[in-house]
This record gives sequence, C-alpha cells and structure tokens, in this order.
Amino acid sequence: MTSGYKGMSPSGPTDFDKPVLEVRGVTKQFPIRTGILGRKQFHTAVDHVDLSIKQGKTLAVVGESGSGKTTLGLMVLDLLKPTSGEILYRGQPFSSRSGSNKRALRREMQVVFQDPYASLNARLTVREALTEGMVIHQIGTGPQDRERRALELLDHVSLPAETLDRYPHEFSGGQRQRIAIARALSVEPGFILLDEPTSALDVSVQSQVLNLLIKLQREFNLTYLFISHNLEVVSYLADDVAVMEKGRIVEQGPVDDIFDRPAEAYTRRLLAAIPRIGTSIR
Amino acid sequence: MNPPLLEVNSLRTYFNTPAGLSRAVDGVSFALLPGETMAIVGESGSGKSITALSIMQLVPEPAGFIESGTIQFNGKDLLDLTWEQMRSIRGRQISMIFQEPMTSLNPVFTIGFQIREAMLTHGKYRGDAATARAHSLLERVGMNSPDKVLRQYPHELSGGMRQRVMIAIALANEPQLLLADEPTTALDVTIQAQILTLLRDLQRDTGMSMLLITHDLGIVSQVADKVAVMYAGQIVEQAPTRDLLSNPHHPYTQGLIASLPSRSRRGNALFTLEGVVPPPTRWPGGCRFHDRCSKRMEICNTQMPSTTSQGEYRSVRCHLYPSAEAVTSQEPTR
Repeated sequence: MTSGYKGMSPSGPTDFDKPVLEVRGVTKQFPIRTGILGRKQFHTAVDHVDLSIKQGKTLAVVGESGSGKTTLGLMVLDLLKPTSGEILYRGQPFSSRSGSNKRALRREMQVVFQDPYASLNARLTVREALTEGMVIHQIGTGPQDRERRALELLDHVSLPAETLDRYPHEFSGGQRQRIAIARALSVEPGFILLDEPTSALDVSVQSQVLNLLIKLQREFNLTYLFISHNLEVVSYLADDVAVMEKGRIVEQGPVDDIFDRPAEAYTRRLLAAIPRIGTSIR
Repeated sequence: MNPPLLEVNSLRTYFNTPAGLSRAVDGVSFALLPGETMAIVGESGSGKSITALSIMQLVPEPAGFIESGTIQFNGKDLLDLTWEQMRSIRGRQISMIFQEPMTSLNPVFTIGFQIREAMLTHGKYRGDAATARAHSLLERVGMNSPDKVLRQYPHELSGGMRQRVMIAIALANEPQLLLADEPTTALDVTIQAQILTLLRDLQRDTGMSMLLITHDLGIVSQVADKVAVMYAGQIVEQAPTRDLLSNPHHPYTQGLIASLPSRSRRGNALFTLEGVVPPPTRWPGGCRFHDRCSKRMEICNTQMPSTTSQGEYRSVRCHLYPSAEAVTSQEPTR
C-alpha cells in the first residue's frame, strides 16, 4: 500500500482547506401513515442538517438512539436519497453524479459498521473480502498485485499474513473489526464513515482499534465522520462535534468548545450523563 | 460487623462443550454485606454473567453445572436446596434483571399482569393488594401514568421504560438481593443515568444488597461500594471502589483503566492490553494473565498466583503482591 496508495485528493495541498464533505440543508422524511382524506403524515428523521468536514479531520455526530445519526450516515454514503438538501463530496453534489462518476464516489467513501460479526460476509475468506472491492474498482494489475496489496493492508491493521486464507468466524471481535477496517481501506478511500466502530468491543480492544484509526488517519490523510453515542470516545478521537437531537443539529463546534462550554441544555444533559471515573451519583 | 448476606466460596461453574471442558467460573470467592453494592467488572468471556447465573442456579443445563463451591445466602448454602426450595427464593429473596428488557418481558401479557404474576407466584401480595402494589411500584420506578402502563404491552414501551418495568417486577417481593447483569448496556446514556440513579435510590430506601455486573468502569465509579475484577474465570482483584480506581494493584486492572479514552488523553496513543481473553476451554497455565501482562516475571509462566490480602478490604491475585497470609489456599497450576 505504501507505494500503491495515492490518496484521493485530485489536486494539490491547496485543496486541504476546502471541505471534503459538505451536507447542506439535508432533510429526510419517512411516510408513516396515510390519513382518511389521503393526507400523508411524515416522520422527519433528519431535519435541515448542515455539516462540513475538512481533509484529514474527524467530525463526530453524537446523539441518542432515534436522533437521526444513522439515517444521516446512510445519506452521506449515498445509500439513501435526501428528501431535500444537497450533499457534496469534494465540491461535487451527489445529484450531479452518474455512472462511472458514481462508482468513483463509492470507492472514495467507505464505511466501518458497529458490529463486525454482521458486517463481514461469513462465506468469504479474508483474501476474498479484501480483494473483492479492488476487482470491482480495477485496483491492482492482477491477482498477484491484489494479493500483495491485501498483505500490505493486513500489515497496516497489525494482522499476520496467515489471516488471508481464514474465515471471519475464526477471529475475535477486535480482529474482525481490523479486517473490516482493512476492507474499507482496500479501495483507497479518502473518507470513511465510522458508525459506532468500537461500541461492540471490550475496552481493552477498543483502545487498540482507536489507536489504529488514528494511525491510519495520519498515514493516509483520511477524513472521518464518526457516529457515536459514547462521548468519552468522541472527546478522545474527534476534532469537531455535532450534537443531534430529534433530527436536528442543536449545536456544533470544536470538541473543547462543546465539552467546556455547551450552549444547549440537551448537550449539557448528555455530558452530565457520562459515567466518568471519579464521579458519583451517591 | 454484620454477617454477610451472600458469601460465595471457591465457586466453580463448568460447561461441557464440543471444544472440551469450559471452566467459565473457576474458583470465585466474595462476600456481600446487607445494603452493600458490589460490582463485578471484566471483559466478555471473563465469567461475570455465569457467576450471577450460578447464584440464581440458572446455569443452562445439562451442558453447564456447578462443579464445586458454596453459595451461602443468609447463612444457608443455596446449593443444598431442592429445585422447589430454590424457586421460592428466586424472584422473592433474590431477583435478577438482565441487559435486554425486550427479551425479558413476555410480549403477549400486559405489564400489569406480569408485575402481579411475580407477586402472586410467591403469595406475598394477592388480589387488590397486588394490583395496588403494582401501581405504586410503577410510580416508584418513575412512570408518569402508572394506570395506563399497567394496561400496556411491552412493545408499547421504550427500552428505558421496559427496564423500569423489569426493575418493578424484580422489586415486587422486596428482595434482599438484586442481581443486575449489565442493566443499562442497551440504553442511551441519559436513560442509563436515570436507571442508575433509580437503582441507587431504591437500594437506599429498601436496604437491599446489589450485585452489579458491568464492563463499564464509569458506572462502577458511580454506584458501587466495592469492586471485583474478573479475568479468565477468576477474581484477580477486589477493593473498595475508590481505592481500586485511584490505585489499582493488578496489572490487568491497571491496563483496563489506562486503556480508557478521554479528552485528557487526546493526541496520545491509548495504552493497550495486547491479545484477547483466552477461550475458557484453554486457560493458559501459570497466571492466566501472564501472556498479556506487561510486568510478567519468570514465576508467572508456571505458577498460578494465590489471592493475597492487601489490608483489611483489599485482595489481589498476582505474584507482584506476595503475602505471608494468603487468603485462599494455593490453587493447583492447570
């Protein structure tokens, strides 16, 4: 990967100040029922959300279940169409993309899910999981080259080369999450959506995965959108935070500003609820 | 000092599995005083849930069985009781709440039916008294409209509300001991804070003891009087909460605390405990933690450390803390 990895920035370093991802006034409504007069009712899962993330940075979206974080994530990956609003990747709106252009977008934007037991295909060896995306996106000159890349990926996530011929069930949760991360990296993305990537892991494994995510971000200049309800992890990993409540972003800014001077009552409530070591409700 | 309400001694709970004998709980001893809250912390596979199920004698049979040990509750060994005698203790003197409030409630009965059922089974409250108590229990666990909730079905309630119902059922017969196995893991952080506060208040009002199983040291810090840290089927360290968190003795406890992410650790790599908890069919020889331990010594590879007392309330199972007065006899090396 060290040689083969080009990074995704189409132009030079001047591009780094521009946002990699921009979410502009995005709303998503789901129909819930139709009334007797044919009037439709909607649930607004995401409500006029604006976000932007710069190259190499991490933006965390925090909020409770049902706040709309996951729906927002699906729209950012172009797996769900917004009802209104626009999402831009490197300045180009999703809606203007089609065909090969869309495929390029799929390659640049990758995802790591919460549950590595569900997100890896049980019938694929690690070799197949890591090279499948390369074949689709025509990365590598042939099977040997793709295998070399797969081995490099394993090295990056600190897994041994023997891993290639094994199946997901042979690995622990932490190892599977490393495989999922390697798979995301296999198509040389510029952006990774991390949807609760450590929530299913034990604390000792969580720290390994967090260290890995930070190392990879530095090496490959990756941009992360980090969805989480764990504010301790957010405060450790993210540069900026957006607090979501009932589909709206109620507050966003640098981690230190939000944690030290939360302006919204909801943010204060979330922060106060973190069970921190050294605090007591007695 | 009061005699302990619960005293577990050298408990071993094993499972026959296709991969061989699984020694899930392998020599666990602790005592819980009346009104005390003890937390058992550990990673998945450390044996903490099986410890709680062993106390309830709900270990899945026939694969699982209690190999040896005693579980003294109010001075009598629960392992000597018949199935019928144990049934009269479960849900009455000892109650348990689980992680998933959805799967713990029966979807085809109303909340009111399920709370009353817990009381009618044990005959402590009947008829109108049971209905009135169900109402007041729902009030006590913070439900806004108990009358409505009594008539509702589990699917009509949110996760936090369901867990409140589970707590109401667990408390219906005024138990002396509540076993809570990851009671807030499935809940949002603000709901978690409400449930923990509720458990704490209820405990203060009723004087019951609580055994809280969790993997979250933050929760431990908030609610527990003392903590037992489990690793590979054994308790490796026991101490009052404050002492354990501010001055952990065992390298495993130290590692767990050092690996927690926080804002103050930004920009620095987190401490990592390399490797994973070994499978319970193949615990390593010597100290079970030796292959992950940063302070490993020669002796750790071959000899299992015994538990030594460190002051009146602390104990640790580690060769770094030798003591003339070992509190349990030397365990054979496996």
